[in-house]
Amino acid sequence: MIQLRDVRYRYPSTDWVLNGLDLTVDGGEYIFIGGANGSGKSTLTYLFNGLVPHFFGGTLLGHVLVSDLYTQETSVSNLFARVGLVLQNADAQLFNSTVEDEIAFGLESLGLPGKEINDRIQGISDRLNLENLLGQSPATLSGGEKRLAAVASVLCLDPEVLLLDEPYGDLDWAAVSRVRQALQDINRSGRTLIVIEQRMGDFLLDSTRCLILDRGKFLFESPSNTGGARFCREHLLPHYPRKARTRTQTNTPVLILEDLSYGIDGKEILSSVSLELRTGETAAIIGRNGAGKTTLIKQFNGLLRPSDGKVIFNGEQLGDKDPSEMAAKIGLSFQNPNDQFFKSRVKDEILVGPSMLKQVEDEWVEEIWSIFGLHGLLERPPYRLSEGEKKRVALASILAMQPTLLVLDEPTSGQDGRFREALALLLAELQDRGFTTVMATHDLDFAKATADRWIVLHEGRVVADGGPEEILRNEELFRMGALGPSEADAPTLTTRK
Amino acid sequence: MFAASPRLRVVPSYVVHSVWCLVAETGNEDLFRLARRRVVLRRLDPRTKLALGLMAIGAVFVAKEPTTLIGVCVILLITLLLLGLEKTWLRSSRVFWPMLGVVFAIALLSFDLWVALTLSIRLLALLSVSLVFFRTVNPVEMGDALRKMGVPYELTFILTTAMRYVPLIGQKTLHIIDAQRSRGIDLRPKIRNVKNYVALLMPLLVHSFLLSDELAMAMESRGFGRKDRSSRRDYHLAVWEYGLMATGLILLAAFAWWERG
Repeated sequence: MIQLRDVRYRYPSTDWVLNGLDLTVDGGEYIFIGGANGSGKSTLTYLFNGLVPHFFGGTLLGHVLVSDLYTQETSVSNLFARVGLVLQNADAQLFNSTVEDEIAFGLESLGLPGKEINDRIQGISDRLNLENLLGQSPATLSGGEKRLAAVASVLCLDPEVLLLDEPYGDLDWAAVSRVRQALQDINRSGRTLIVIEQRMGDFLLDSTRCLILDRGKFLFESPSNTGGARFCREHLLPHYPRKARTRTQTNTPVLILEDLSYGIDGKEILSSVSLELRTGETAAIIGRNGAGKTTLIKQFNGLLRPSDGKVIFNGEQLGDKDPSEMAAKIGLSFQNPNDQFFKSRVKDEILVGPSMLKQVEDEWVEEIWSIFGLHGLLERPPYRLSEGEKKRVALASILAMQPTLLVLDEPTSGQDGRFREALALLLAELQDRGFTTVMATHDLDFAKATADRWIVLHEGRVVADGGPEEILRNEELFRMGALGPSEADAPTLTTRK
Repeated sequence: MFAASPRLRVVPSYVVHSVWCLVAETGNEDLFRLARRRVVLRRLDPRTKLALGLMAIGAVFVAKEPTTLIGVCVILLITLLLLGLEKTWLRSSRVFWPMLGVVFAIALLSFDLWVALTLSIRLLALLSVSLVFFRTVNPVEMGDALRKMGVPYELTFILTTAMRYVPLIGQKTLHIIDAQRSRGIDLRPKIRNVKNYVALLMPLLVHSFLLSDELAMAMESRGFGRKDRSSRRDYHLAVWEYGLMATGLILLAAFAWWERG
């Protein structure tokens, strides 16, 4: 069905990104492809429907054969209905104003008559349970719903192969299980699936064959049920070190939230949250997407103001101080590093904060370079870095201001196993150095490995607060949906027969 | 021109949407939620909406005398109230005021109070018409309607995607502002902070380019630009819509006559 023969590709101004690929995919297979950030995974997906080379230009050598068509000689508009590509960025994938129009778009491109289009929309929405989303704008959907809508928009074309680039994205466990279920059903109905993902536990269980892409080559290939160990050895499946219980924690509170509530347009997002973060601890705020995690951490430095209750930092009420004035005390680092880069060198980027505050301390700056391993990157433009490096720079730029409290929003989102492992070590080091850290996350494995305190947020309320082991034993939390199953992790996958 | 490069097709939509960002201050809000709720409007053919919108703009341009201007404003106000858009208008008008203030001040300095007053009111009316239009028109319908009127698909699609991307870029902007303020960059609207706005504009620019690339890719991957496209919607103008348009035309003519006489 798909054949790659010694495929090499480079973008107009880069080195070889794909460097000698051979692959044969048969009908009905469920293939999982893993690889570190920057290994060429996304580029690989563009190969199958002809975006490479027709959209991107560049040089493509070797043969790419998709259902008896050479992609070099076939345009994207003649390939798109055979290879359904679900892109990594669901927001870009959904460019129409309703889900219904989204599904119709590809069908209209094919020139199908109106009645058949409507029938197919009906069919696909029944199949993926999208009935009540059809009239909605993609902007109003939750993450999981967006993913399913994106899948529907290409699956309705009845492609021979469905290709998904990071379908889990930053979905939480509930959305993940819905997408996972849908993909299993699609494969069971006989369709060929190719999935590329960083969060790979589930796919190593569900797929039939797995491959590792490394610097544009397939490094490894095996049936999925025996492949786990290798993914673990390559650190693509993170194997977190057991957390050494060296709690330097004191009882001195850094940040106190007193009976804090927050609402917008009459809808309550946080209700009477009371919390005390203490010096030296590493805490995790755990919860589903939409539980109010990001809204909560934005209260810490005044990006949002509580509609009721108090925020007290180091014994002083936050009042109406601007977040930029708080930056030296509370460092908040958000998910997407691209939201903050605007200098042409990494070095300048990191020093933005300290120089704004007029407190550049050479000694500390040197420390930062070595904690984050940045010595080789200082002169490079931040936008050109790999995803892991970008995240490193973003974190460094916050820490450069020596905040008393470090707050991280979904630090593992979009990162490969290698970076997640490295980040776990980094957080441990920061704890050793006496930093107080709190992260908002739904990555339970990571939180288990790095935090010694879990604060579970559910529908805007704190429903549990304590050590991770104790919280994971509380079945009530799972029943109410405040916690969920973690994805299959390294130990599970390496020990299975 | 549009066959040249898929990317070229998307870039204009960014120009369009940045203008839209200014006109219809949207942020996170879904532009079209309101529109869908209103049954009457949904029943209107998009061509009727377009025609009425253009007539309203025409009326604002025609009206110079205070009496005509008051007439136009009254009709506009009734429309706003009928559509239940008064709250949206109040919220969005926060963006209008500074712009109006500047225009008023300049006109006052160069002409007199009277000119400054009428000019500001006309500008306000124009902005309000645009607001009503963008809040009530479903872009896909609009695109379809324009295609029916002979505008090439690639052009109408620029319009469609632009409207979809206003909220998305709005959201992005908020994220960037949050990220930058959190690292000590003061973005409050003060003179001394002007240079800090590079920290907002640069990432926004990069995001826009990334997004336009991704959008072009997504469109291409779903057969955008294939010659034999079909449309599943069937539009036809009802008799009462002709009536509505005729009423609009008569009003416009009346205003024009009023101005002359």
